[in-house]
Amino acid sequence: MVEEDSTKLRKRDLLFTGALWLLSLILPDPHLPYRRELIKKRDLFYLGGVLLLPIVWPSSHVHHLMVLAGIYAILALGLSLFLGYAGQISLGHAAFFGIGAYTTAILTTRYGIPPLAAFWASAGVAAIFAYLIGRPILKLKGYFLALATLGFVEIFLVIVRETPDLTGGVIGIFGVPWFSLGGFQFDTYFKQYYLVWGILIGLILFSKNLVRSKMGRALLALATSEDAASSVGINVVQMKVGIFVVGAAFAGFAGSLFACVMSTANPEAFSLGFSVLIVMMVILGGMGNLYGPIAGAIFLTWLIDILGRFQEYSLSIYGLILVLLLIFFPDGIGTRLNIRLIYLISYWGRKKRRETKEI
Amino acid sequence: MPLLSVEKLIKNYDGVCALNRVSLRVDGGTIKGLIGPNGAGKSTLFHVITGMERPDSGKIYFKGKDITLLEPYEISRLGVGRTFQTLQVWGNMTVVENILTGMHKRLKGGFFSSGFWLPWIKRNEEEALKEAKETLEFLGLLGRWSWPAFQLSFGEQKMLEMGRALAMKPELLLLDEPAAGLTPAEVKKLAEKICKIKQFGTTVFIVEHHSSMVMEIADEVAVLHNGKLIAEGPPDVVSKNSQVIEAYLRGKESDA
Amino acid sequence: MTPWAYIPQFLSSGITIGAIYALVALGFVTIARASQIINFAQGEFVMLGGMITFSLLHHVGLPYPMAAVTSVFFVILVGFLLYLLVIYPLRKASIPILLMATLGASLFISNSSSIVFGPLPKALPPFSGDEPFLIAGIPVVPQSLWVLGATFLLLFFLYHLSHKTLLGKAMEASSTDPLGADLSGIWRSLMVFFAFGVSAGMGSIAGILITPIFYTSYSSGTLLGLKGFIAAVLGGWGKNSGAILGGFILGIAESVSVAFIPSGYKDAVAFIILLLILHFRPKGILGSPFIDSRRW
Repeated sequence: MVEEDSTKLRKRDLLFTGALWLLSLILPDPHLPYRRELIKKRDLFYLGGVLLLPIVWPSSHVHHLMVLAGIYAILALGLSLFLGYAGQISLGHAAFFGIGAYTTAILTTRYGIPPLAAFWASAGVAAIFAYLIGRPILKLKGYFLALATLGFVEIFLVIVRETPDLTGGVIGIFGVPWFSLGGFQFDTYFKQYYLVWGILIGLILFSKNLVRSKMGRALLALATSEDAASSVGINVVQMKVGIFVVGAAFAGFAGSLFACVMSTANPEAFSLGFSVLIVMMVILGGMGNLYGPIAGAIFLTWLIDILGRFQEYSLSIYGLILVLLLIFFPDGIGTRLNIRLIYLISYWGRKKRRETKEI
Repeated sequence: MPLLSVEKLIKNYDGVCALNRVSLRVDGGTIKGLIGPNGAGKSTLFHVITGMERPDSGKIYFKGKDITLLEPYEISRLGVGRTFQTLQVWGNMTVVENILTGMHKRLKGGFFSSGFWLPWIKRNEEEALKEAKETLEFLGLLGRWSWPAFQLSFGEQKMLEMGRALAMKPELLLLDEPAAGLTPAEVKKLAEKICKIKQFGTTVFIVEHHSSMVMEIADEVAVLHNGKLIAEGPPDVVSKNSQVIEAYLRGKESDA
Repeated sequence: MTPWAYIPQFLSSGITIGAIYALVALGFVTIARASQIINFAQGEFVMLGGMITFSLLHHVGLPYPMAAVTSVFFVILVGFLLYLLVIYPLRKASIPILLMATLGASLFISNSSSIVFGPLPKALPPFSGDEPFLIAGIPVVPQSLWVLGATFLLLFFLYHLSHKTLLGKAMEASSTDPLGADLSGIWRSLMVFFAFGVSAGMGSIAGILITPIFYTSYSSGTLLGLKGFIAAVLGGWGKNSGAILGGFILGIAESVSVAFIPSGYKDAVAFIILLLILHFRPKGILGSPFIDSRRW
């Protein structure tokens, strides 16, 4: 009797462990320290997947979604440096996205500036605003910082709505031209996909470098203990402002791309709901990791799309899902799931060893 | 000129006088101890010196410079390292990363250069890693250099925190109750390491409740009681001071 | 007429809305005092108060006073549920997580309301008639007097609760000295549970009071909640008196500002005040027992 049971278990064991091993290949890394090399084998796997996706899946709708997902991923990546690594709360990140979108929209439609220049300008303008806002605000901590960030995004929203001459008021700006590089226009979702994801990959490399350098360590340090960080000479406020500006620049890039892809810029970009959405992506993805928020962005973009069919219910389902996910994965999906998998795998391993001992 | 000098510091908290016109000096190249019963104001003194608290009046001079109103990170950058009574190790980073972060100010680079991983950043990081590992060897933690810091034992984490402060190559090292919570064997190791640190040229200022270790290794000891300095001098002289015996030993009897 | 001439009128409407902000602010402070949590869904309690009363009045046919009282009970129930289903499971989580959870709950409540009650704004009949009457030459709507009266009653009730009853004292104790409270056997979770109930109740009453003057709709809760929080910070975070003072100051400032700047910017006024206060005096006007430069 016992022998039969143990062989059955063995087959199931293999199946499960196999499945788990496959899953662990594609899921993002947990925050295992000191494996901070620039490129790992897993990254090449992801890269391949990203490059091949639009070819393997030729649906235009999917391309459209993935372009959006890529843009949101850039946003989430920027915020994850501020929220996930430095541990500071910003509920106003959408403001920089909006600034980026409007800068590009205004420069290309009113002044005929080429999209590439507008792209960089958008990031620059967002960065400047971030610096001006960040200097006073980042002396605050916790809930007060969150509140202050809510404050400035609301103020931006109001200003955008109330200055129609500059920003087109409630309607926004239309007719933003496609992104183009020397005559090559990115006018289909297919082409835009590679544009957006190419930029995202570049930004990921930048972020990875940042994270494994002394700046990354300083951010992790001040997230855990600001007193200890000060004691080694780290100017905590300056660090916070610095990473805030970097995150805002990323958001500026994202906003610019958004304007070029959607051909419009409108005040919705500044809404509180959008800010919350971006934070959700980062928290779902996990704090202290870079790929998690990107996965979070992809996941939420798809979720919005699916829920879009249930237009009215969408936001409340959103809220519900957010709360449920937070309760069950308070460290974010990226970290918990993988750690659980590791425990499971090691559990099976131990179980097998016990079984062989008994027999 | 003394390395650190504190003049007539007064610090009140809600009616309790934590520091009552405290003046003392720490001379370069020595180990100075500060002992006293619990609640005497020892940690408060450290907080004030490192800029985490502002004194109500009085002055603090480091290398002749007035540091009374400076921010903590500015004071650290001048060459003052410290450990914390409440152990502020960065648990989610690895052991070696804790040390590397301690070297933060000595490493070059900013957001742009790091993000683009310019070649000199790479070289910098490799050299820093080597130096960090040497520090870990001195502390006896090299074998665990890639472990997440929270996995170390309490005593090892305290050692790591001291190593982090040393990574800054400070001229003055402030140790806030370094022996608290350590086993007698660990206390002995700690004492040896502190003596070696002194040999390297770093001045050490220790606040400690366990007076025995401090009395053994310090060149000079100051005693604080109820916010007042009641004795200052070489350990053998201070230990015979009647006021000290009364104030301290009464406290000593009640706790092991 | 010059803008200055309108000021008395703005003052009166400002005091009215200020009373509501004060009540919302008190709701925040009550929960924060018991648990150090900031409940971003606070504004939804206000919105629900008005919405549920409307429903009970028009769809169930209850008489007005009964509808109001029943609705308050419902909202208190919602407050308890919010605690049990969202806050309690996350009691050990970090600040960003808790923040997001209450924001998520707020999203859920406001949007579900739009489904359940429909997206159009709702109004309630005023308690005692529509006709504004003149006080010192300023037209005042009777509802405003109800608002002020009820606000003072609620304040009195809160004061009595926290200083005279055992429950209230226990709640105070558990916020000022959590460890001591734990040691003397006061069950902190229960205190927070009650705090949620009290905040929800106050919020819903505020909602019922204000709906006859300013309509309510599913989205009005969010902004109201934010402004209430700002009022609490303005007056002195963590103090009941601060919440009240802040509420009135914010209400008056907002109303009076319309005389000088285009009305579209009215909402921004609250946030500008917030940024100014956080920059120059984060403790708030009356100071704060909570803000120690290390912790917040």
